[in-house]
Amino acid sequence: MGNLCGDPKGDPVKFIRQAILAISLGGIIAAVLRTRGKSPDAPSQGGWREVTPQR
Amino acid sequence: MTASGDFNIGIVGSGVVGSRIALHLQSLGIRPRTASFQHASELFDCSVVVLAHGAPHATLVSAFIAQGVSVVSASDNLQDVMSILDAHDRAVARGVAVITGAACSPGMTGLLVHHVKRAFESIDEVHVAVHGTGGPACARQHHDSLAGVSIGWHDGEWLQRPAGSGRELCWFPDPIGARDCYRYGSPEPLLLQRAEITLQRITARVSATRRDRLTARLPMLAPPHPEGGIGGLRVEVRGVRNGNRHVEIVGVAERLASVAGAVASNAALAILNGTVPPGVHNLGQENLPNDTILDGVLATGTTLHQFVGN
Repeated sequence: MGNLCGDPKGDPVKFIRQAILAISLGGIIAAVLRTRGKSPDAPSQGGWREVTPQR
Repeated sequence: MTASGDFNIGIVGSGVVGSRIALHLQSLGIRPRTASFQHASELFDCSVVVLAHGAPHATLVSAFIAQGVSVVSASDNLQDVMSILDAHDRAVARGVAVITGAACSPGMTGLLVHHVKRAFESIDEVHVAVHGTGGPACARQHHDSLAGVSIGWHDGEWLQRPAGSGRELCWFPDPIGARDCYRYGSPEPLLLQRAEITLQRITARVSATRRDRLTARLPMLAPPHPEGGIGGLRVEVRGVRNGNRHVEIVGVAERLASVAGAVASNAALAILNGTVPPGVHNLGQENLPNDTILDGVLATGTTLHQFVGN
């Protein structure tokens, strides 16, 4: 079985490839969470208006 | 209403908040007496005293209760507010009323939650965010509150989290806009939970910069400004309306010292008019005249905003 951590001394190209793969996977997961991870009842658009309390 | 020219209300502290309280009371025809913290005993003959100096207030509150003087405290220090709440039995025994956390946050927040909840069948979440500071004492409290521990109410349990964590982008009324806000050491969740026992989740956050968070555990590197600029308050209430989940968001954009002064002065008026029962209370509780106090605050020129969106 190969070294999963990638030994830089043994195979630097393999190590760099695995690092790039890990960073890419992290980026994809973060992008999915950013676009799909919204609370359903959080206001997403609108603005502030002045109000007078009604009794 | 109190007759013009009497000295039934005293103010401890003559900083930014103290001077705003005096201005509000004078505009209503009341002449308050002001004393420094060192000479607070000069106010033992007043009916109501507003504590507007920097925390701690608990020792002075106990002294005034012992003298039979009602108290309004503008302290926003967690430990200080907890100590004041412990004086409830003594206040009842002496027949005096104490309102703690009568400032902007806490204080105005309790009034707003009480006002907004009429739009719901039931409410279960309140999330508060505040931006800016009042005077120098408030700025020091802001600095210190980012270094300790924050509390939050989550599904019936008190959670402790490091202050300065939990970043959330919060939108305040114009001209403030969006600010990054973080957990901080505030008595807000404690007081709101006392006011609305049905709440399941309460959080309080304050806006802060990277420098604020980085230097929170150090002494203040530069003396604070005499008064902060325009600040903001944002109160998000969640609950059930017509059987569906519903959210209401209200806020104010104003100098926080002005809001705190308006809240504290109107709380003192409520005590003076005999509408607050003996004991230690906080704004938003059912047995206080919250609507009257909120009307008084808005009459000082503070404008209430509501977030309208979907």
